[in-house]
Amino acid sequence: MDAAESEEYEALIQFLYIAPIGLLQARMDGEILMVNPLCAQLLMPLSRDGGLSNLFTALEGVAPDLRGRVQAFEGTHGMVCESWQLRVAADPAHRQGRRILALTVLKLDEQRLMAVLGDVTQSVQRERELRQSQAWINTIVTGLTDYALLTLDDRGSARDWNASVERVTGRDSAATVGQPYSVFYPADALDANGALDRLYEADRSGWSLDEGWRQRADGSRFWGSCLIAPLHAADEVQPEDRAYSLVIRDVSERREATEALRRSVACDHLTGLANRRALFEACELELQRWRRAPRPLSLVLIDADHFKRINDNFGHATGDAVLRHLAAGLSATFRAMDVVARLGGEEFVVLLPGCDMDAASAVAQRLCESIAGQTMDVDGTRLGYTVSVGVAGMDADVAGVDALIERADLAMYAAKTAGRNRVARWQPGLRPAAVGVAAVAAAA
Amino acid sequence: MAPAADSTVYSDTCESTFSMSTTQALSFADVELQAELDRCSDDDLDKLDFGVIAIDADGVVRRYNSFESKAAGLSPLRVLGQPLFTVVAPCMNNFMVAQRFDDALAQGSTLDTSIDYVLTLRMRPVKVRLRLLAVPGAASRYVLVQRPA
Repeated sequence: MDAAESEEYEALIQFLYIAPIGLLQARMDGEILMVNPLCAQLLMPLSRDGGLSNLFTALEGVAPDLRGRVQAFEGTHGMVCESWQLRVAADPAHRQGRRILALTVLKLDEQRLMAVLGDVTQSVQRERELRQSQAWINTIVTGLTDYALLTLDDRGSARDWNASVERVTGRDSAATVGQPYSVFYPADALDANGALDRLYEADRSGWSLDEGWRQRADGSRFWGSCLIAPLHAADEVQPEDRAYSLVIRDVSERREATEALRRSVACDHLTGLANRRALFEACELELQRWRRAPRPLSLVLIDADHFKRINDNFGHATGDAVLRHLAAGLSATFRAMDVVARLGGEEFVVLLPGCDMDAASAVAQRLCESIAGQTMDVDGTRLGYTVSVGVAGMDADVAGVDALIERADLAMYAAKTAGRNRVARWQPGLRPAAVGVAAVAAAA
Repeated sequence: MAPAADSTVYSDTCESTFSMSTTQALSFADVELQAELDRCSDDDLDKLDFGVIAIDADGVVRRYNSFESKAAGLSPLRVLGQPLFTVVAPCMNNFMVAQRFDDALAQGSTLDTSIDYVLTLRMRPVKVRLRLLAVPGAASRYVLVQRPA
């Protein structure tokens, strides 16, 4: 061997010395011909005679049938065993815990065997933990009757289905997998943008929770909470590696209590609509979403015409009845996802996510005509009233909630000055109310 | 142990240069071996009929004699300056060898133990006798390797 060759030979020897996997060559009777250090280290504690001359002898305690397997192997070459897991008992005297080795044995030809041996204790442990948590989750999913648990992909569509989904929502696999999770909501309660908003919010804060009406496959409703939590790492950018877990819980029995609490905090006592505070919270959230991803967003402001006259002529009780009647009309006209609130007095506001000014004006027009076409019966007195409506759309020039409401307010006063019982849209150049009223007075 | 007998038998079977050397008095089982090894020059170590690996306090190989180099098939250049238990001989990185050195270091105690071991010299399993030497405060700790007759 010349110098270069011996250099190469030495490098090869060292490569095998430090290889982090056990390698071994043996004769068909198990006599070890070549073995690298790691393999020797793994085999030695197993060897009952303390030696390392025969593979079958060394593995007698953990793989007693290996010799037989090799003898019974019929082909001239091929895999005798692949990744057999050998369980090695703990050896306290040698400070060794329980270990699991993976053994692969290859028949090279009629004379030689090759074996690969590795310590897979940790990866087996990890796999087992994973299976345990899976089993644990399955137990929860199948054991609790009021939870449905499923996985969503990066766009919020259901990736899988299980019995819990059917139990809670009545949906079978075909009606679930591939569908956006908004199918669990009543038809007009959650649009595509809203569904994505919740995923985004779950990404940002670790989870997103909302409670409200959910819909079963047969159309019936139940009061449910939806918890969405990301399954991916925060910095995961590959869409296929992003996923969420969705837990739907039927909390119908709890609804009375939470609803009472929610109403006391968020509802207007007279009409049952969202109160001012709940409106501003909802608006802030919707504006945040708009700033992140601008999309149509409109706000409608409704004011009962000549309400002071109704109060003066028929009394406050009748005035209240009118407000309740108007509230019911609003609830019936707008969608479940819209936020309908009483701003104060005879002023109402509706926030319409996903609606541009045209769409919002069309709904407002329908409301206007509907109210004008009805008469109320208040203690035998037939009474009709009308509303004036202002419509404003969100755009980059609107600084915040107050500014958006102010635009709708300006438009509403424009509707008043134009003769009431009508809808007006905000447009640049609309003057504040006092100026408008002064102008009308001057014209009159 | 039969130190004298072992080394005699071994010397007899070995090349004649070994038995004629000035260090023939040094044998694998000498009681004061650590002190004697410390005094040896590299040439002296190379004349010994057993393997000598000296490691420092960090486990880095500082001396590697010719007997061990031939047996393992590695030249001193590949080994000197490398951590013994992680890069050179991971097969000794266990409770039987490395752990004993660690324990002796941690407890500040003297280590002088001989054990039967199997090394995979040039990929062949070889039964050897190892002697592990460490004295608190000494610059070198030793792994000595004796091949059976």
